[in-house]
Amino acid sequence: MQAFVNSHEWIWSVLQMIHYVGMSLIVGIIGTLDLRILGLFRSIPIAAFRPLVPWAVGGFCGNLLTGYLFVTGKDSGPSYYTDNLSFRLKMAFLVLVFLNLLIFQLSKLEQKTYATPAGAQAPVAAKWISAVSLLGWILVIFFGRTMQYNDTLLMFLGL
Amino acid sequence: MLDYLEHLPLAEWVRSSPSVFAYSTVLSAHGVGLGIVVGVNTVIALRLLGVAPDIPLAGLRRLYGVVWVGFFINLVSGLLLFIAEAHTMAGMVAFWTKLLFVAAGMCVAELLKRLYFTDRASVQAGVVTRVGRNLAIASLGCWYLALIAGRLTAYPDMVNGWLHLTGGST
Repeated sequence: MQAFVNSHEWIWSVLQMIHYVGMSLIVGIIGTLDLRILGLFRSIPIAAFRPLVPWAVGGFCGNLLTGYLFVTGKDSGPSYYTDNLSFRLKMAFLVLVFLNLLIFQLSKLEQKTYATPAGAQAPVAAKWISAVSLLGWILVIFFGRTMQYNDTLLMFLGL
Repeated sequence: MLDYLEHLPLAEWVRSSPSVFAYSTVLSAHGVGLGIVVGVNTVIALRLLGVAPDIPLAGLRRLYGVVWVGFFINLVSGLLLFIAEAHTMAGMVAFWTKLLFVAAGMCVAELLKRLYFTDRASVQAGVVTRVGRNLAIASLGCWYLALIAGRLTAYPDMVNGWLHLTGGST
């Protein structure tokens, strides 16, 4: 796989584009849903966003695959990523947003939230879930971008 | 002019400061803004093309407020990134191509507002006219081409190779 990823210069750039498309789908769809749960554009019933969620899941699966190819295919070896504090923090925040999602789904909060009609507010607990989701995804992107400039982060943290 | 921009204290700070709040944060903000602009425009386009038909069209229009927040983040972060490396950026085909598609995407959004969202009868009835659908497709095209061109600014030598250009990426 490493040989494939590095066989042509354009492959890496195309994988990056796919990774950015996936990111946009997640930010656009999950972010919009989060903002609605937090109380914006209340004229839209929350369940109306539901058919868009598979598109975000699709984007996420694409990013899992391209991300796997970046880590295993890096010409200087996977340690470029695994030893990188920004990468580790990105993974930590990914785990956080997933635990957050798991709580949302397993607590039946999801059902209550999707039952929120137009004009109404989502349950307060769901607002906390959405706030964590929004902030979590922003930090995933932030640390994703600082990987390349990891030394600025290390210096900031005095490491 | 490009020299002047690159030598502004702000440009020097973005380019050379070892602070995590300089280049790293500006670049990250540009990524978040990209996600907002491309992603929320995608939500609007997908709705107009028939995905999520229960989203009321009058409510959909309000999502443009979020697009504007993303656009503003990227205007500011983009200007900072440009002045930090004005010569390099101004010499890139991919950069100007990206700006072209961003401008086109904004025009399509404005056209959607004028030619579709002002058509109150259709919007209230939940009908997406052919103009609305075509503009939604154009919007997706513009924003994803802008994303692709933007990504290619990280590979100037590869792009120049494709175009049989030399230099320009100093």
